[in-house]
Amino acid sequence: MDQFYGIFLYIVALLTMGGIYAILTLGLNIQWGFTGLFNAGIAGFLAVGAYTSALLTTAASERHIGGLEAPYIVGLGAAMVTSGIIAYVIGKICIRLRSDYLAIATIGIAEILRLVVKNETWATNGPRGVSMVPKPFETLPEPYNQICFLLLILATVGVIYLLIERARRSPWGRVMTAIRENEDAARAAGKDVERLRIEAFVIGSMLMGLAGGFMAHYLKFIGPNATDPLTSTFLVWVMLTVGGSANNKGAILGAMLIWTVWSATEIFTSRLPEELAIRTAYIRIFLIGLLLQIILQKFSKGILPEQRPGGQSTAAGQSTLAGRSTMAGSKKDST
Amino acid sequence: MLKKKLLGVLAGAACAFGAGSALADDIVVGSVAGVTGPIAELVAPIVAGRNLAVEHVNAQGGLLGGDTMVLVLADSQCDPKAGVDAGQKVVNVEQVVAVVGASCSGATNGMVQSVTIPSGVVAISDSATAPSITELEDNDLVFRVAPSDAYQGLALAQLARDAGFEKLAMTYANDDYNAGIAAVFEKSFQELGGTITGNQAHEPNKASYRSEVSTLSNGDPEGLAIFAYYGGSGITIIRNSLENGLFDKFLGADGMYDISVIEQIGADNLKDNIMVTQSASDDQDASYQAFADFYQESTGIDPSAPYAAHGYDAAFLVALAIEQAGAAERDKIAAALREVSNGEGTVIRPGEWEKAKAAIAAGEAINYEGASGVVDFDENGDVTGVFSVNTVGDDNNWTSKLLK
Repeated sequence: MDQFYGIFLYIVALLTMGGIYAILTLGLNIQWGFTGLFNAGIAGFLAVGAYTSALLTTAASERHIGGLEAPYIVGLGAAMVTSGIIAYVIGKICIRLRSDYLAIATIGIAEILRLVVKNETWATNGPRGVSMVPKPFETLPEPYNQICFLLLILATVGVIYLLIERARRSPWGRVMTAIRENEDAARAAGKDVERLRIEAFVIGSMLMGLAGGFMAHYLKFIGPNATDPLTSTFLVWVMLTVGGSANNKGAILGAMLIWTVWSATEIFTSRLPEELAIRTAYIRIFLIGLLLQIILQKFSKGILPEQRPGGQSTAAGQSTLAGRSTMAGSKKDST
Repeated sequence: MLKKKLLGVLAGAACAFGAGSALADDIVVGSVAGVTGPIAELVAPIVAGRNLAVEHVNAQGGLLGGDTMVLVLADSQCDPKAGVDAGQKVVNVEQVVAVVGASCSGATNGMVQSVTIPSGVVAISDSATAPSITELEDNDLVFRVAPSDAYQGLALAQLARDAGFEKLAMTYANDDYNAGIAAVFEKSFQELGGTITGNQAHEPNKASYRSEVSTLSNGDPEGLAIFAYYGGSGITIIRNSLENGLFDKFLGADGMYDISVIEQIGADNLKDNIMVTQSASDDQDASYQAFADFYQESTGIDPSAPYAAHGYDAAFLVALAIEQAGAAERDKIAAALREVSNGEGTVIRPGEWEKAKAAIAAGEAINYEGASGVVDFDENGDVTGVFSVNTVGDDNNWTSKLLK
């Protein structure tokens, strides 16, 4: 088979998974980037979404509950709704916690959710997972099934991007930033801070649930190992931090970039001699940490820093100010 | 704009990979394994088994007209996400003829359904044991040399009944491998007329399992069946049971087969008191012995490491199938794989690549008898597998007896 055709298919797969991560990162961006909510439990919402959609859309099986063969749209919708409901309940209880305490609470909740799906074997087939999850467009011949699935993911990312860009520029988005920067000031201005924080938490978690649903369909299988915190929580944080927190374009860029690094580095390392190949699997993870360090040293606010509505990024704003003062200075000199 | 740039970078990188790809006389086979992740220490001996098979092939004339067989390693991390990603890399970027792997059932399940079946590539797993893999609609593209848990759970249940156990308590480590065997064991033991007095899942790597074993000792069970990895929780459970005098008879599946169980618990405590089934390896069998000698010599690892023999068989079978097909073409592998392992023809054992090559060239039928068993595939691409029962012998080591 043609080498380039194969690489094309790999790029399709890379963008598909990158796109699914982009949905996760956009969800986290609403929570952390805009509102300053430290959600360290992404894996939990991913698991809820993935299992909800998988259980609703698969064919009946004696291994797990569900098996309704529902259409994808129902499965993915239910994934969002279930994640949203769980996020609302959690939010009601925990949202008053300050950032690091919220992080600890969400880590705990994510582990609880993960342990529930792992141990309630009657419902989820426990550690064995749910197999034969249908995948949209899978009846189409290769490579069109993969391309169509990619287009579906990219279209979803595009729609979400447009919606939350719109939200960011709206008064709602500005209040969120106000809460992030100074909660007391926002409260003093008469904003219902708690309700708004819960809103951001629920919307972000719904997106994470949606990403989980897509992931289950893409993998055609979902098990507890797929919701491992390393690749489901930590990696998403890396993506958002590298891409640029509070910048939606940055969130998408970070997801695509870090996933490419995560996945494609292996193509090089697998060419090393076999004694080294096993070790490089670990070096690869080390290199990703190193890359994060370098990027953060070079771009302290991520590759694409936040841009406040009004057009100027904070960095650019500072330089204009600096420019103005030098101009003023030179004026002084000339006079 | 950004996306375009990103695509440009990707395409550029892709071209670079393309240029570096295998030479014309290399035949590339994917080797997908959970190199990092929760079972990393179990995977290294399996990968060594696969590599040893390839060494044998290349040292004894190579594939077809002297082509070199090359294994490309990809890390499935025991995670379906990484399994699918690794599958995409070997199938599309490396353009492999067939795939050996992936290691864990979950990663294998994802990889075969999402990548190798749609691409028409044969995947042959050496350690995925989940029964759900049997049921996949796989167009005859998914094989495994590791027997489904359904067989081992049944074998152990039969053994327990034959040994006279009426009432047993059981506990399993809550991972995909042990939970699967435990479920089959529970069902089979009850069907054979036994009673399970208590069945409890446990999380591995805890410091103590006293509360679990004391709960399990209710209902007057005659022994405890443990489905766990020896290092994760198995040894601790036996120790806690003995310390508190709750159980003195133990049964286990192959996660419990390791010399450190005897070393740490003491042979005197275990003699006549423990039975462990193990997939594979009749150590009297000529095929296994051939493998064990080569393996010990070349890797220095104990050849009875779980699924190391299966790793060898999986890679060797792929080589035989390519030779039998007469071409390194994806769509011919499945049929050829069945031809070289259907139980009829000249017997080929591990390490006998030259003999196999000559027989195929002469048009003779061949039958590979692997290190892990006879590896004759059934219609689902599964093997029934051979099991041994291991007890503690007079030399304070495991003594294996093959189960018929």
